[in-house]
Amino acid sequence: MNPWPFIIGAYAVTILGVVGLSLWSWITMRRAEADAENLRR
Amino acid sequence: MHIFANPARFLKLARPLTLWLGVGGAVLIALGLGSGLFLSPEDYLQGESVRILYVHVPAAWLAMGGWTGIALASLSQLVWKHPLAGVAGRAIALPGAIFTALCLITGSLWGRPTWGTYWEWDGRMTSMLILLFLYVGYIALAEADRERGGEGRVTAIFGLLGAINIPIIRYSVEWWNSLHQGQSISFSGGGSSIDTSMLWPLLASALGFSLLFGAIVLMRMRAILALQKVEARMRRLAA
Amino acid sequence: MKAKHQRLTLLLLAVVAVLGAVLLAMSSLKDQAAYFYAPADVTRKGAPQARTIRIGGMVEERSVRHAGDGVTMDFLVGDETDAVIRVRFKGIVPDLFKEGSGVVAQGRFQPDGLFVADEILAKHDESYMPPEAAGERHKTGSLK
Repeated sequence: MNPWPFIIGAYAVTILGVVGLSLWSWITMRRAEADAENLRR
Repeated sequence: MHIFANPARFLKLARPLTLWLGVGGAVLIALGLGSGLFLSPEDYLQGESVRILYVHVPAAWLAMGGWTGIALASLSQLVWKHPLAGVAGRAIALPGAIFTALCLITGSLWGRPTWGTYWEWDGRMTSMLILLFLYVGYIALAEADRERGGEGRVTAIFGLLGAINIPIIRYSVEWWNSLHQGQSISFSGGGSSIDTSMLWPLLASALGFSLLFGAIVLMRMRAILALQKVEARMRRLAA
Repeated sequence: MKAKHQRLTLLLLAVVAVLGAVLLAMSSLKDQAAYFYAPADVTRKGAPQARTIRIGGMVEERSVRHAGDGVTMDFLVGDETDAVIRVRFKGIVPDLFKEGSGVVAQGRFQPDGLFVADEILAKHDESYMPPEAAGERHKTGSLK
């Protein structure tokens, strides 16, 4: 059985999942911190 | 224990740390996965399929490490009432759940070309699936608690009790006959049954994902703290 | 005793109690939670005869025989003990199915002790190494 589709699938899922999670966490943080900053002014 | 009781002091450290953990993690992951995909040798038995090791094992370690973190945060919330403990627990839950799911998916993709099956109900796979359900339960409890504005005690107790699953996952391959192979790396001495040429990409990748995990947790903690600040201000304005 | 210490003691006691109870239950589940029967289990305690079960172990060296039809094969499954199980399987085996390597077979025991499998899974051990480092080592794999 050719293993490459499985290897590429596993790497793709991992990278997409981790990049997505990082970006989402980053955007949520920036937005929340900006809101908190705006409140002070 | 209370060094970071003051969120302002925590934030002063967390801001630069988020960046450094994120950048360091990304570099190490690129190094580990790049060498895992292109430089490391194939396995004598599994051939190329062994490359899934470099994403599957870090995901598994972080899935279990994440819940260990939740359990420690829960303990320090229940016993010392540390003000950041609940925040830390909630911040770990989602990345922990994602890494558990990644571990299950990559494991399934590894199982097909090697064992000959995507999924079997053996001890290791079943206990890992239970961990995913525990994460989902924890997230639901924490969310319900946040909406009610509670202290999160029930969530913390759940986080502490759920930790029982961690030794079960670890020893599932020793207590029961399982399809999943035993432990390759022993942290309490005994070394590793992984060849050095495969071990170093694995360790680079595992350390990289761990640093990135730390960065994600810090980002989520900062988001929760900022949100709490906004909500507190809103309540004062409304009063 | 300070309230903090009281909480700590109570909580740790509760955790230890629950942990002990669950771990005890888990290890006594040993037989039910086992994914397969090893040859030694079958010889020592017998295996259910009338229903589908899984057996697992190492494919014995030089035991694989292919029948004339090209799809049926017979082989012996052993473990660290002297016990062996005769297995017959008709179909395609995973790439990792090899003599001297791990296997899990699902099927039924026949009255004469032959295990007729309808599914074969390959089980590998926890060592990973390049082919040139393997040499003869892979032939002495273990069950775990």
